[in-house]
Amino acid sequence: MSAASPRIQEVPDDLLTAIDYCYEQGWTDGLPVVPPVIDRVKAMLAADSRPAETVIATHPATTLELTLHAAAVNAVMAGCLPDYFPVLVAAFEAMDRPDFNFHGSTASTGGSAPLLVVSGPYADQINMNSDVNLFGPGNRANATIGRAVRLILRNVFQMLPGISDKSTQGNPGKYSFCIAERTRGNPWPPLCAAQGYPEGTSSVTVFAGGGFCNVENHGGNTPEQVLGSAADAMANYGCITLGQSVVILAPEHMRIIAAAGWTREQAQEFLFAQAKRSVEGMKNVGKYRDREYDTQHGDKAHALAEAGFVHRGLTPDDILITMGGGDAGGHSCFIPSWSRGRGSIMQHAAIRA
Amino acid sequence: MQLYVPTSAPPKRKAFRAPVLSSLEGTRIGILENGKLNAEEMLREVADLFVQRHGCTVRTLASKSNASAPAPANTLVKVAQDVDFLITGLGD
Repeated sequence: MSAASPRIQEVPDDLLTAIDYCYEQGWTDGLPVVPPVIDRVKAMLAADSRPAETVIATHPATTLELTLHAAAVNAVMAGCLPDYFPVLVAAFEAMDRPDFNFHGSTASTGGSAPLLVVSGPYADQINMNSDVNLFGPGNRANATIGRAVRLILRNVFQMLPGISDKSTQGNPGKYSFCIAERTRGNPWPPLCAAQGYPEGTSSVTVFAGGGFCNVENHGGNTPEQVLGSAADAMANYGCITLGQSVVILAPEHMRIIAAAGWTREQAQEFLFAQAKRSVEGMKNVGKYRDREYDTQHGDKAHALAEAGFVHRGLTPDDILITMGGGDAGGHSCFIPSWSRGRGSIMQHAAIRA
Repeated sequence: MQLYVPTSAPPKRKAFRAPVLSSLEGTRIGILENGKLNAEEMLREVADLFVQRHGCTVRTLASKSNASAPAPANTLVKVAQDVDFLITGLGD
């Protein structure tokens, strides 16, 4: 528990003045925020039964703490409704694990942003979008949950652009990067089930995402063709590392894969096997490192790791793959990991709601 | 209108600088490289300057597997027993 008491500031009783005041204090991501008035924060806190001073995440380098109260204040500012709060809390409980390394992934020149993938019935309960325009804009839950993550990183953990967040080029996902997994028409078990949560329990997966790469293929009619396009994106010289991957398949692409009876595991294995570059090619672009090759091809090498090649990731399990987006369009996407490797490992947590 | 402040309370842990060495002459150097592409090469070059100019001795090379995570405490404790100062830095 934190000993610090919530602090209150008085501002003139005018909404626009309060919005300007938040700007003046440096509390925003550049967009206007909802002033965190007392009643709204209390309503947000009511969505979690634990004491407001409960610490849900701690910055590993500075020891700054995120309490439920501070999370609620920033959630109000982002525009969240109280029903969204359990997703935000679960996301930070997952990000708090050392392997996620949220300090490094938010401070780095690499410029990743935490991607949240919400899986299970709670996504529908709070009207999240898993369909057309998946990555936005237009849905309040998706937009504001992702935005609250950024405001907490900024305000609570002091990850300030140019000071402690040294991202070379930033990332549009740093404003908001939050989606729901689409279950309608999805032939595979939801991620929350694959992650081992009991039926009815939803989860949020957090991944330090390095950007967004559209995978267009309107001509392929086999899993190999569709997934081959995704694998090629995963292995592009600008992205290929030993890091993890997120692949969100468009429903059009998923129908092709499902019609052939492919499981998620088959798709993961195909992508891992195909997302590779030759050692010679890696050397030609100056990205080859003995140490990384040995990590991938040493005693613990996966059977699909091919000698003479650098694959993306270490195993097929390093690839999170599911479905999302609108019915029309051969547009899937690949989201690379932060920077050059395994500095951040994706995590997931149950949503307590 | 009353607003809650969204920023954090000051951190519990206070950072402070190590005391300055009274002299560099003949001291023992440790290198902590962070695994980045040219980290070891760059840090060895820096260490060589101390060797040439101050008669220092390079005693140990420690590595981090994750450039952006703090060095494990046991790594620092082990190195601290054997050196007078440690050289570290980025290597891109």
